[in-house]
Amino acid sequence: MTQTWAIFYDAYRSLNAKKMFWIVLWLSALVAGAFACVGINEGGLKILVWQFDTQPLTTEEVAPAVFYKWLFVQFGIGIWLAWLASILALISTAGIFPDLINSGSIHLLISKPIGRLRLFFTQYAAGLLFVALQVTLFTLACFLVIGLRGGAWEPGLFMAVPLVVCFFSYLFCVCVLLGLVTRSTLAALLLTLLFWLLTAVIGGAENFLLLAQAQDKYGRLPPGAVQVYPSDNRGGPGQLGGNRAPAPRPLGKPVPVTEASAGDHAAGRERGGKVPRAIGRSLLKAVAGQSTAGEKPGPKETRPAASTFQPVPNKPAPFPAGKPDADGQKEPSRGLKLAHDIVYGLKTALPKTSETIGLLERSLYKMADLRPGVLGQPGEYQKAEREVLEKIGKRSAWWVVGTSLAFEALVLCGAAWIFYRRDY
Amino acid sequence: MEALGGDLAIDLHDVAKTYKRRVQALRGIHMQVGHGEIFGLLGPNGAGKTTLVKIIMTVIHPTRAQGTVLGRPIGHKPTLAKVGYLPENHGFPPYFTAQQALEYYAAMAKVDRPTRKRRAAELLKMVGMSGWAKTRVSMYSKGMQQRVGLAQALVNDPQLIVLDEPTDGLDPVGRREVREVLRRLRDEGKTIFLNSHLLSEVEQVCSRVAILVEGQVVRQGTLEDLTSRGRYYEVELHGAPTDGLRAAARAALPCELRASNPAAPPTAAGGAPTCGSAVVTVPVEKGTLPAGQAVELDGNVVRIHTDQPAGIQPVIDALRRRDLTIHSVRLVRQSLEDFFIETVADLHNGRPAAGTTQWSGTEQGDQP
Repeated sequence: MTQTWAIFYDAYRSLNAKKMFWIVLWLSALVAGAFACVGINEGGLKILVWQFDTQPLTTEEVAPAVFYKWLFVQFGIGIWLAWLASILALISTAGIFPDLINSGSIHLLISKPIGRLRLFFTQYAAGLLFVALQVTLFTLACFLVIGLRGGAWEPGLFMAVPLVVCFFSYLFCVCVLLGLVTRSTLAALLLTLLFWLLTAVIGGAENFLLLAQAQDKYGRLPPGAVQVYPSDNRGGPGQLGGNRAPAPRPLGKPVPVTEASAGDHAAGRERGGKVPRAIGRSLLKAVAGQSTAGEKPGPKETRPAASTFQPVPNKPAPFPAGKPDADGQKEPSRGLKLAHDIVYGLKTALPKTSETIGLLERSLYKMADLRPGVLGQPGEYQKAEREVLEKIGKRSAWWVVGTSLAFEALVLCGAAWIFYRRDY
Repeated sequence: MEALGGDLAIDLHDVAKTYKRRVQALRGIHMQVGHGEIFGLLGPNGAGKTTLVKIIMTVIHPTRAQGTVLGRPIGHKPTLAKVGYLPENHGFPPYFTAQQALEYYAAMAKVDRPTRKRRAAELLKMVGMSGWAKTRVSMYSKGMQQRVGLAQALVNDPQLIVLDEPTDGLDPVGRREVREVLRRLRDEGKTIFLNSHLLSEVEQVCSRVAILVEGQVVRQGTLEDLTSRGRYYEVELHGAPTDGLRAAARAALPCELRASNPAAPPTAAGGAPTCGSAVVTVPVEKGTLPAGQAVELDGNVVRIHTDQPAGIQPVIDALRRRDLTIHSVRLVRQSLEDFFIETVADLHNGRPAAGTTQWSGTEQGDQP
């Protein structure tokens, strides 16, 4: 243990010397502080001492705990930890192995009574420890904010620690392998970011193909109705592409469809004191997870979302459509299925960054209930989308994390082998 | 070979290393280092010295290797807790202070916390770095880093200390201090394996050396044995090296002298008097004394190739009988540098066949 602690402490000193540890920690504190500044009450949102009338986004419609959890998942995890902080963490830790190899200190370490594999994996763990510590502190801060301001002491938030560490480890193992091969921090970092982009593109492609198949089954979408976001890490498995597509969101209290269906266009036309209310409606829609796709602008319209969608049969589908079955639904075309199977196979082999982060969202949303029918009757597009979401949602955590960890294990074995066999 | 006893600090047999299946860095090294001695590893650039050191310290994987380090097979990691190592061109992470560096590497060598704190302070004092203990190593000069590196190699109180160019970057004072440290460690019973380019330094501290050329040990033994072949007595006559003096000396010596090839350079320290700008080569006259020793007359110097004082007495008597005044008599020992250069030059000239190893002054074929 003496050696292990020494390596961990050395890793801390290294990060401390680069100032990155404290920079990331302060930024995390800033984000958590920003959460604490935002409150929700009967009148709307309250930021520090300023009250904003964001009707209908009030505690009448949304429970404070749900609001804070949504903030935590979407911004704290989705944007900060799984995106910005991860890049900072990669920058901080990418140099661990290249620096070790190039600095001349490798001879001093390898000649000590410690096995190379143990040295490798301890150094690797030290890199992950950096992220684990950061996430733990951030989650703790958010836990306190949600507890104190939202009144919900939700230990489930701490699921963020293993999930974010897991997510980061998928990228870190690639970074370590590339660092050992190239012996360059910069090359390792850039290539890792490229790899991340690759996984995002493959994830996005798979979601697109799933949606295209479902759309083929139910009918085609109006132009611009399908929005496939890059599959970055900013969402969960219940979301399309970048995990930003609509999914039934849990609410402490149901969201009135009349408010939710008030479009952004109308909101944009509002002036003066109406602006915060329009923002409130938009936020509420986001919390509720309702899509604005296909919705017509119109204030106070009491209209089910289903009525907003009209299929456009004359537009050609991206792939040849299948034949309709007895229920009027079509079988997805073979081309689409084949393309999806190929992409799905690729995705299975690669780490699933966004889905891993999405597991947190999935687990947190299980804690709240959603009144049935709150989203109205689905239209054809929403049916297709919902089918896709259900299909993605059915993928087990074991599939998401297990296959990703298998990838990580494979990459780590390669990196460890290089580290073990190399002559320094 | 000098008897080292059965208990060897380093006992290498057939250590070989081939890089990328092309470059043969080591071609089957056989080497023994006894306990409590300072052993010097010499060789020209690219001879494979550092590769050998790295194999001993498990930094490099050998292509094949047999033997032991402190009684355990090469590569046995736990043994390294009793070995100190100062690599060539080592580097400490720039965020370390000297104190932190020593404590860190002591921890890596499994030294307990109180001991490593105490040892770090003691060693920094020993290498003259106490005043810089809290300063980051990135601020240090090369010599200061080398001092801390030496302290690092000793932080686990090792039985065997492997030093690769320990005086690299040190000024003459620092080098002397290092030599004193090495002698002190030897007196404490430590074994020191020293790889250095500085022959004079090796000569001053090492009891045994091995010369590595092109991946093979070509000479190995005690300094005494290796350089004894070149020992001779030099009798310097009083007066300028005139023809008259040479004639008198020639007449006095109890043997016939013949001029060696004038084009050939003097065998040792023979001077070549100059006349104006033209170099006049005075041939060295050689002969054999009745007792069998070779004798040379080189100007006003008579060399008798023996290291036995009794062997030169007849020559001195003969010179004195001719009323020649003897200015000085001294035993000349071949320096390690002379020996090293001669060995390497011989190899390059193809005289000792590559692969031959001289054990304690006698040439042998490859060890099994």
